[in-house]
Amino acid sequence: MTVVIPPQPTAHETPKLELIDVRVEYRGRAHNETLALDRTSLRIGAGEFVCIVGPSGCGKTTLLHCLDGLQQPTGGRILLDGRRIDGPGPDRAMVFQSASLLPWRTVLRNVTYGLEMQGVSLAAATQRAREMIELVGLAGFETRHPGELSGGMQQRVNLARALVIDPEVILLDEPFAALDAQTRELMQTELLRVWDATKKTAIFITHQVSEAVYLADRVVVMSPRPGRVKAIVDVDIPRPRPASARRDPQMFAIEAEIGALMEHDAVVPA
Amino acid sequence: MTQLITPAAIVDDAAFVERPAEPSVNLFASKTVRSILSLIGGLAIWEFVARVVVHNNAFLAAPSTVAVRAWEMLLDGSLLYNGWVSLQELLIGYVLGVVVGVALGAAMVQWRGVNDALELWIAALYAAPMVALAPLLIIWFGIGEASKIAVVFIMVIFPIVINTQAGLESVDRRLLLVARSFCSGRWKTFTTVSLPSAAPFIVAGMRQAVGKGLIGVVVGELFGAKAGLGNIITTASSVFDMPTLFVAVVTLAVTGVALTALLRAFEVRLSAWRDVA
Repeated sequence: MTVVIPPQPTAHETPKLELIDVRVEYRGRAHNETLALDRTSLRIGAGEFVCIVGPSGCGKTTLLHCLDGLQQPTGGRILLDGRRIDGPGPDRAMVFQSASLLPWRTVLRNVTYGLEMQGVSLAAATQRAREMIELVGLAGFETRHPGELSGGMQQRVNLARALVIDPEVILLDEPFAALDAQTRELMQTELLRVWDATKKTAIFITHQVSEAVYLADRVVVMSPRPGRVKAIVDVDIPRPRPASARRDPQMFAIEAEIGALMEHDAVVPA
Repeated sequence: MTQLITPAAIVDDAAFVERPAEPSVNLFASKTVRSILSLIGGLAIWEFVARVVVHNNAFLAAPSTVAVRAWEMLLDGSLLYNGWVSLQELLIGYVLGVVVGVALGAAMVQWRGVNDALELWIAALYAAPMVALAPLLIIWFGIGEASKIAVVFIMVIFPIVINTQAGLESVDRRLLLVARSFCSGRWKTFTTVSLPSAAPFIVAGMRQAVGKGLIGVVVGELFGAKAGLGNIITTASSVFDMPTLFVAVVTLAVTGVALTALLRAFEVRLSAWRDVA
């Protein structure tokens, strides 16, 4: 376990994603500008699972939206395989915070959605969607509508919808925040199982430190607004990590360390 | 670690919503039975008032008299012929109004410029009594079917535009973000996210428009027509032929109820997914 203070993120031979001095400001009314993200630099390797933690309002979601291309940074660059991100693309997929499923579509049609948008034939899309629904453990629920599913099941659909387009990078925006504690832990273990099976580069945003440590290879700690990379903590706990790995003393030690890093941020007014 | 979760295991954490309870055995609690009783009761009161209280066919025709007249008009073909003329005018004007109304409402939501150009006009025309324009449209389009179609069209289009706008503006922004994230183009986002979201609003507008369309047909025909139910009403009322007048009015009412029920069924089908949510 090592703490690296930016701007020297852990070096990777060929970063999958590279953020260089990313800056995002929002222009409000009355000419006041809000600086959401400032001087954020980060290198993320292929197949890596990175969690980003930070207090609310630290620009985590903004950062993720920039990675997905939903939003353009006002300064700096974001490179994917060395190419600048200038909009959403099939090489990235987002798992949204609220499941944001289309309520009038069945589970199957929600999962085929991304493929349909790419012009994949419905037959081919359906076949791939069925495999993905199976992978996330929802086989048998294909014809249900989102309204019939629990929060945990909806997030499984949300995950399958992102994975089915076979992205290189998967971006997860606090997907389990609204779930109860037990379902949340179950979903975390499930996510690791699915991630092991697909080997995607994963960037997961959360404000829960234990979740970040359990999931990640590296935890990026953000400071309060304006969001900056405060520290990067390696999680050297071997994979696969069963549910019991949560009680690993080393896990607790890392959690405590990140907790200490974030502690005085909590009292800073947002 | 590779703990596979079977569907059976997930059912536990599923919050399935309970289905509504079985309908009550009490016959009078059934909506259908109550509706039929209400209908019979209303007709009975009408019959009583017409036969005993008013007792003058020039003022009020009893339902039984109206029924006999309706049968005669069915046999001589005048009811079907005139009904068909009115129905055609209604359907053509209605479909045109819905199609153009949805397109206009959608264009106003999609493009700021279109909205700014039309908003004031739509608001003013929606508030204005469109039937007042019927005589004008008859002067423009003649006393044939075209003028009635035009009247129906201007009656129908405004509720459709307003409802389409309201529906499209209420689309969940998060769903639009999902569409954008999955590289959906503008048109695809419209057809796969916006339009299905707005559909309940649009169908509600369509139901509202049925009544307006019917008024449009009749008023259009009252002001000048060669045929149609409105024409029957004008002709009959000029000679105080109440039974014939009522046949036309009842036919219009039944048509309105039938079309509204049809749209209601369509609405239920369209939002079947909502029943479980």
